[in-house]
Amino acid sequence: MSQPDVLNQAFELGFTYTRSTGPVIGRFFTELRNRNIVGIKASDGRVVVPPMEYDPDTAEELSEFVEVGQQGEIVSFAWVKEPREAHPMDVPFAWAMIKLDGADVPMVHCIAAANESAVATGARVQVVWADETIGYITDIRCFELL
Amino acid sequence: MANLAAVVGVGQTKYTTKRQDVSIAGLVREAAVNALQDADLGWDDIDAVILGKAPDMFEGVIMPEVYLTDALGCNGKPMIRVHTAGSVGGSTAIVAASHVQSGTFRRVLTVSFEKQSESNAMWALSNPQPFSTHLNAGAGGYFAPIIREYIRRSNAPKDVGIKVAVKDRLHGARNPLAHLQKPDITMQEVEESFMLWDPIRFLEACPSSDGACAMVIANEELADKAAKQPAWIRGVAMRSEPTTFAGRDEVNPQAGRDCAADVYKQAGITDPRKDLDCAEVYVPFSWYEPMWLENLGFAPIGEGWKLTMEGATSLDEGGDIPWNCSGGVLSSNAIGASGMIRFAEAARQVRGDAGDHQVEGAKLALGHAYGGGAQFFAMWVVGSEKP
Repeated sequence: MSQPDVLNQAFELGFTYTRSTGPVIGRFFTELRNRNIVGIKASDGRVVVPPMEYDPDTAEELSEFVEVGQQGEIVSFAWVKEPREAHPMDVPFAWAMIKLDGADVPMVHCIAAANESAVATGARVQVVWADETIGYITDIRCFELL
Repeated sequence: MANLAAVVGVGQTKYTTKRQDVSIAGLVREAAVNALQDADLGWDDIDAVILGKAPDMFEGVIMPEVYLTDALGCNGKPMIRVHTAGSVGGSTAIVAASHVQSGTFRRVLTVSFEKQSESNAMWALSNPQPFSTHLNAGAGGYFAPIIREYIRRSNAPKDVGIKVAVKDRLHGARNPLAHLQKPDITMQEVEESFMLWDPIRFLEACPSSDGACAMVIANEELADKAAKQPAWIRGVAMRSEPTTFAGRDEVNPQAGRDCAADVYKQAGITDPRKDLDCAEVYVPFSWYEPMWLENLGFAPIGEGWKLTMEGATSLDEGGDIPWNCSGGVLSSNAIGASGMIRFAEAARQVRGDAGDHQVEGAKLALGHAYGGGAQFFAMWVVGSEKP
């Protein structure tokens, strides 16, 4: 029996959105444009990067920004063997939680490395800035092993 | 019989086209802080947060309630999300009230919002579909034919909608939080504004607003000790019906009639025009005032427009049953918040806390919201006196 003709049509649904980042996330992005990374001090003294607007324990507004280092330590990672189109790199790389010097919580970003065995928990990394910084998280192109 | 509950705090933001100075979290936070201050309470006094907004696709933030827990002091507490399209602000208030009336929580914070400047409501409401012509009609395009059918049935004169557009903007000019401030608006100005979806002119449609609304709802014991006059919740009701079914009356939906009958019964209301002192009713397009006057039993079928034209619903004309003293949805439309604003403004009236748009001596008020294709309804009646 032959397959019946199935009626089909290409369909793409797209929306355009705007974001107002507010005084805290906005400051983080502005600092990235200037090639600085800032966190914010929480009520318990921890420095949180990226900064958050409200304290996770007391719910009070946070406002004490702290510049953190551009080097840090890998807390955990996952190796991506076959990068997809949406990934930040077109060659194998690692997603990692990176605790920057001066920060108390890790931040997720990507690490460029020759192969999986080169990456390890506890290894030191440093930021690689994009050629042009515009106030996006992608201003940090990636981290590289020290 | 449910336990008693009352509104003990109300907080809103100033409604405006673009709040680019704050994130979505910053916007909801502002309303929540204002409600807590009004109630003279802090984050620790709240047992749970009940959050509502219109579809996630509007701002493209999926499950925003998860991201908003920090901003709403809700870490380690229950966070409940409500979703019933445009009526969501009202439904959210009812879900919040129900959690107190049931005894589950003693005191809750309820918040709703929309940041239309970050959103794309027109697209989100009328997605293109395969094998169909993309109308991109939005809400006005959907409701215009229903309004035309109302005009045909009722033989209402053509300027009823214009009158509502003027009346609600004059009300809005009394409310510093209202988005549109048009104290000098005239019938002629509305009539000369361009036709968007016949018979809805530009000035007969609601604006697109950024804003948030919040309330603190407490049980009887805590409401008795409240810092300010509580608004006692005298009845709550929700009803829904499908967008289309054979015999559906889109002009006068069954769900709206049933919802009103339910809430009136709970509140002991037999004649809403006489028994209520004022109402905040979801009127995003001018003609929905006469239509809802009939659907909600304030006027006989076919005669809602007469109340509007007589000035019965106008504060400025000394009407006996003022509708939308805050300026209504026609003056501010932060979609997800709009229903809650109606509920909160009803509460403000019976708390005697409505400023220049106060109905003198208001004791009993209706808050109303509708959504979807006029298929989701939420209503509450609040009173100054404990039942």
